[in-house]
Amino acid sequence: LAISRVKVPRNFRLLEELEEGQKGEGDGTVSWGLEDDEDMTLTRWTGMIIGPARTNYENRIYSLKVECGPRYPETAPTVRFVTKISMNGINNSNGTVDSRSIPILAKWQNSYTIKIVLQELRRLMMSKENMKLPQPPEGQTYST
Amino acid sequence: MADQGAADPGNNNNNKPEASEGTIIKVTVKTPKDKEEIAIAEDASVTQFKEEISRRFKAKQDQLVLIFAGKILKDGDSLSQHGIKDGLTVHLVIKTAHKAADGGSTSASSSTSTQAGSTSTSNPGTNPSTTTGSTGSAPPPTQTPNILSKHLSLFEKSGLGMGSANFMELQQQMQRQLMSNPEMLSQIMENPLVQNMMSNPDLMRQMIMANPQMQQLMERNPEISHMLNNPELMRQTMELARNPAMMQEMMRNQDRALSNLESIPGGYNALRRMYTDIQEPMFSAAREQVSVRNTSLHSYSESGAQPSRTENREPLPNPWGPPTSSNPSESGGGSTGSSSTTAGTTPSVSNPLGINPGSLGNGMFNSPGMQSLLQQISENPQLMQNMLSAPYMRSMMQSLAQNPELASQVLMNNPLFAGNQQLQEQFRAQLPIFLQQMQNPEALSVMTNPRAMQALMQIQQGLQTLQTEAPGLMPSLMPGGIPGIPTGGAMPTENPASSPSSAGTNIAQQQLMHQMLQMFAGGGGGGGSTQTPEVRFQSQLDQLNAMGFINREANLQALIATGGDINAAIERLLGSQPS
Repeated sequence: LAISRVKVPRNFRLLEELEEGQKGEGDGTVSWGLEDDEDMTLTRWTGMIIGPARTNYENRIYSLKVECGPRYPETAPTVRFVTKISMNGINNSNGTVDSRSIPILAKWQNSYTIKIVLQELRRLMMSKENMKLPQPPEGQTYST
Repeated sequence: MADQGAADPGNNNNNKPEASEGTIIKVTVKTPKDKEEIAIAEDASVTQFKEEISRRFKAKQDQLVLIFAGKILKDGDSLSQHGIKDGLTVHLVIKTAHKAADGGSTSASSSTSTQAGSTSTSNPGTNPSTTTGSTGSAPPPTQTPNILSKHLSLFEKSGLGMGSANFMELQQQMQRQLMSNPEMLSQIMENPLVQNMMSNPDLMRQMIMANPQMQQLMERNPEISHMLNNPELMRQTMELARNPAMMQEMMRNQDRALSNLESIPGGYNALRRMYTDIQEPMFSAAREQVSVRNTSLHSYSESGAQPSRTENREPLPNPWGPPTSSNPSESGGGSTGSSSTTAGTTPSVSNPLGINPGSLGNGMFNSPGMQSLLQQISENPQLMQNMLSAPYMRSMMQSLAQNPELASQVLMNNPLFAGNQQLQEQFRAQLPIFLQQMQNPEALSVMTNPRAMQALMQIQQGLQTLQTEAPGLMPSLMPGGIPGIPTGGAMPTENPASSPSSAGTNIAQQQLMHQMLQMFAGGGGGGGSTQTPEVRFQSQLDQLNAMGFINREANLQALIATGGDINAAIERLLGSQPS
């Protein structure tokens, strides 16, 4: 497992992540924030991934929902695409991300963050097997 | 600038906030390439914000997409609604024909990690680009129904491309047939024995480990042993083996991965190397393995099967699985009296049992395809040897030996025996011995040794001559037995041709068969047939006569030499005497 560290309480962690999301740390290709600013439990988040260039995801903005359960960050969050996407590991009919197919979700560590998850998904978009997948028309979302 | 309308005291730079009391906040607007600080009123709307941005970034407003904290800012919203405060950053995407935030920045090594990350969920660390060849390669046929190893599929292609001996092609054909006949495949798969075997990872592992060559291989490639020891993987592979659809899926994945690999510079060489390093030993390992159980499939799977290993090799479910097929066609025809068993391989050249690709049917033996195959085989002793040493052949024979019922069934179907009760009886009695003989490695090696076979043939011919010259001598030879069978191998094509004729010479044949069996049981010796060549080749002679070859002597000689093969005999005749 990870190196022994102080276990940061969940809410502290999430607040940190919230702040980071608002400050726009990072390269600007992913973004995340609370779905509802009044959500005191800091459970439901929205994320955004900007499709990488030179892939079939290019030019698109993918919206996601991330749910950080009560045991986060010890347990991985559940992730779901709202915008329709065709990608390995993503359920075609409802956009849920299969935790077993995404490496960092499958091998989650408590040092991982929402940002990392989004960035990883974006990275996977650039993989050979995903980058050329034909995508649904832009702007469609899953019905759930 | 001073009074551009709405002269507001708080009017900064290029900003026209509507509400005069709005505090100006500085918001960073970031694109992947660019970053700008924009001052705007706290309570401005997104639209206004966008106006500002479009000026700064020199883009049209409707090209702008603003994202903050994971949400897209819609024109009707206000900044405060989203909690955008001073000092915070908003992401901007400028939609051009082909822009979209260039994501290059994230995860540099995406391409490499791609393979690792993205590919097949179930790929525990197989890295196609590893040259060391994580696994053994799968030998010949790509289409093995049982893909036990994903890794191996890598090698499938290499195996396929490189080095197909005739035998391999044969195998491939068989497999293809098998593949194209899902029913058969599922039948085989459903064989409880197979399933049992497959569902027992330990067993599989043991089998694999038991093979010394495999052990060697494992030493050289520790990954292989890892794979073997990974129960998860083994189970998966076995499942795969059971599920043809899955297998095909996997094969496709593998193929794709493999082709990817090929496109890497130097990749093809790597593949080749892998193949040579791994596949060869694996293949020979496979061949040496002796099946421990009845099902040919079983043994076959052993060979290929190291679950992780050879995807392809993997159990080629023996299409001629003992229980199912049994469509012996006679190979030896009358003279050799070889009874056919359902052993798998097509060319039954040296196979006295007339091992025949029973899988697909009767009379297959008589088809032109078979004929040419037989010829091919006879011309290529190596091929024969390959065939015989094929694991499934062995297992075939073993299973036959163990299952006299089956064997007798098979044999009984042989048209040779069809109308002939007596012969059948005889044969049945002989069966156990016969089968035992087949097991005898000695016998097998004799069969595979072309020179030995030739010798046998000569002996047979000698005996035949002897018969003609001194018929009285023959009876005394009978008990001695005749290894007509091995010799029969040399005269493959005789079968179909001679079978009809043999039917005519029934009794003689019976005797012959009897003798042969005894012979064989006795371990083979020199032999000939009890009938004179004339009798045996009666119909051929007639045919030759009809064609205009009137020299009976010569005809006979030719027929004897070619073992009853009319075509070959004709060629001989034409060669020796221009007619």
